[in-house]
Amino acid sequence: MTPFFEIRDLVKRFGGLGAVNNFDFQCEEGSIVSIIGPNGAGKTTVFNCITGFYKIDGGEIHFRGDLINDRSPDRITRSGIARTYQNIRLFSNMTGVENILVGMEPHLRSTFFGSMIRSKFTRDEERLAHAEAVHLLEFVGISPEADDLAKNFSYGDQRRLEIARALASKPELLLLDEPTAGMNITESVETMHFIQQLRNELGITIILIEHDMRVVMGISERITVLDYGQKIAEGTPEDIQNNPRVIEAYLGRGAASGITTYAST
Amino acid sequence: MNFKESIRLGLITSGILIFLDLIGLPLTSGSAIVFIFTIVVGLLSFLMLRNRNGERSTLLNASISGSIIGAISSIGIVTITTIFARLQADGIRVNKVFAQILPEHTGALTGLTKVEVLSGASIWPGILKLCILFIVAGTIGGGLTALQSDKTSSRTKQFSSSPYGRYALLVLPFLLFGSFMLLKVEGVQIGGEDENTLGLLLVFLFISTALFAFRGARPGNERKLISIAIVFLILVLPQLTDLFQNAVLSAVIIFVVMGLGLNIVVGYAGLLDLGYVAFFGIGAYTFGLLSAPESFVLVNLPAFGGVTFWSGLPIAILAGVITGVLLGIPVLRMRGDYLAIVTLGFGEIIRLLLLNLRDFTGGPGGVLNIPAPIVFGVDLGNPKGIFYLGMLFSGIVAFITIRLRDSRLGRSWIALREDEDVARAMGINLVAIKLLAFATGAAFAAAAGALYASRQVNIFPDNFTLLVSIDVLSLIIIGGLGSIEGVVLGSIALIGLPEILRSVNEYRILTFGALLVVMMILRPEGLLPSARRQRELRGEAIAESGIASE
Repeated sequence: MTPFFEIRDLVKRFGGLGAVNNFDFQCEEGSIVSIIGPNGAGKTTVFNCITGFYKIDGGEIHFRGDLINDRSPDRITRSGIARTYQNIRLFSNMTGVENILVGMEPHLRSTFFGSMIRSKFTRDEERLAHAEAVHLLEFVGISPEADDLAKNFSYGDQRRLEIARALASKPELLLLDEPTAGMNITESVETMHFIQQLRNELGITIILIEHDMRVVMGISERITVLDYGQKIAEGTPEDIQNNPRVIEAYLGRGAASGITTYAST
Repeated sequence: MNFKESIRLGLITSGILIFLDLIGLPLTSGSAIVFIFTIVVGLLSFLMLRNRNGERSTLLNASISGSIIGAISSIGIVTITTIFARLQADGIRVNKVFAQILPEHTGALTGLTKVEVLSGASIWPGILKLCILFIVAGTIGGGLTALQSDKTSSRTKQFSSSPYGRYALLVLPFLLFGSFMLLKVEGVQIGGEDENTLGLLLVFLFISTALFAFRGARPGNERKLISIAIVFLILVLPQLTDLFQNAVLSAVIIFVVMGLGLNIVVGYAGLLDLGYVAFFGIGAYTFGLLSAPESFVLVNLPAFGGVTFWSGLPIAILAGVITGVLLGIPVLRMRGDYLAIVTLGFGEIIRLLLLNLRDFTGGPGGVLNIPAPIVFGVDLGNPKGIFYLGMLFSGIVAFITIRLRDSRLGRSWIALREDEDVARAMGINLVAIKLLAFATGAAFAAAAGALYASRQVNIFPDNFTLLVSIDVLSLIIIGGLGSIEGVVLGSIALIGLPEILRSVNEYRILTFGALLVVMMILRPEGLLPSARRQRELRGEAIAESGIASE
């Protein structure tokens, strides 16, 4: 059986620098998987390769059995992969609802001339889309500000709006790039529950890049660790927590041996 | 109002006054005083409104400020007048360098005649009088401002939201239309030789205030009523205006059609197009070549009566769309500055082709005797007819613009303007929406071009220079990017107003350059911005005040 989502031997170079080297990755439908690693390890590069932002230099990316390497970003989104960004990238001068309506683009069918004469189909579609956008805003918990420009939303709401916009394309695979960055503990925990809710209620498969270990260990079923563009470990949260190579990558060799010594005494 | 600020305002006033003097506005001591008075009242009222939460200006305070402004601004004008008078008395012809400065001009400010200036009569009594008058005018202006602001300060805060202010706004266009009608009444003599210029100014003011009234009206019945009244008046307008006024208005309306097209490309999709004139030229030449009797194109078959305006127009628009797409394809991957440079080159290429493909376009000789549009046997080949047709065109174009703006496509365009990468990651087909933006804009410009060709009768490659692109871009920026009413206001300001300022025509470009700079500093969102831009700026203001209060 072909896996739901699979990366084989992914290579991405910037000039001579190998940002990602021979990276392998797999995940099953309906799982929550994390990619972690120190700064500059190549995590976001992997996301950019998956979504077609970067042309990859080698390897294959399969989504539900289809090879998606050569597709353009908009076609990849249309095939069911959505993402959020590490540094929030909303359409800041559009309202919350408008942001979500843009996210729905893969499912809208009205045409240039249909919009011009405002055909019945166009009117119906717009009305439905609008209702759905409002519903999505409520789902992520930001109804009252719906008519405000996105840039006037609070930080937490901007993060939530970005997720809502990604959900608007009805993805089967959702890539979240540091969804809890800049949040305090309470907000992080809320977000964590929200991500679990997404998977449980909507059945969306989620790949997560995250630095907050509390979140990572709390919700991930499997974790992949990247360092210098290489996969150095993979496994359940327990495996990863006890893996000396991971500790070394995060804290340095000396610290790693120190901890090992400390653990053995 | 403090001392330093007054000096600053005085220097600004002085600069404006010297500028007006040098470009040859006939400045007499009387008109200079009126100017000082108005500017003092205007500037002080503006400042008081702006600092309405800050310190209050007392009567004494404001009067002193006014007199300082008067005094300072008199120094500049007095200095240059003295210098000019001295030079002229010595027999030096200043107007070799400053074209507008003649002895009678210098004399007008100081109350001397031409002969007296040339003979070197003392100008000091006149100068002294001027200084004193300036200071008095400034003081009175300042005092009056303080009095008026004392009484109305509570109301001025919500001028536009208070019922009286709003009704004034709604009634103003009709008053202006009424005063325009007054000029038509037999026996009324206002403005003398310049009566038709004055009439044109009133028409411009009527249309401009009508736009504001439309914006200010409450949605619903009030807005419907106002719009119907305005549309009715605009429809009868060409019957009342004379040949000169209609000629100017038809030029303005052609630029409105073009502006609306560029507004889609630049205002909505954010694609900076500096070669927009190319589509205008292609529309004009396509129609011209197809319809002119001495054409260079074989399809023109006189046996079938040739190509009329109405059969040529769709072909011109189609030609525009095709070139729009052809330009669009190579620039798909370009952004910002690069796009601007390429489109700039494209505009020039088209102009050079028109100029050099002699066998096909007639070269510098142009296309001659292009037929006029005819509707039900009525010849519209006169300014009035073109104005009516232009209104029809701009109405259709505005309608299409509104429909597209509120659609899925309009949203995608704005998303593209905001963040191209993310827009793409949302599943938007960038190729399609960019080409649609270029093609729609080009179609509108080509329609405007066909209308222009039949207005001009003869067209030449020189009608389609880079300056036209810059004019159109400037007018949508001045009016407010993304705003349909703004395009109309921008066209009036940039295309219509210079016709009124014919007397200072050489300085037109200078004046408008200055206007653009000032506009971009004081009101970057344009004169009549779209609701979205207004929100963008209001949003920033909220964000800033939020930071300040924290």
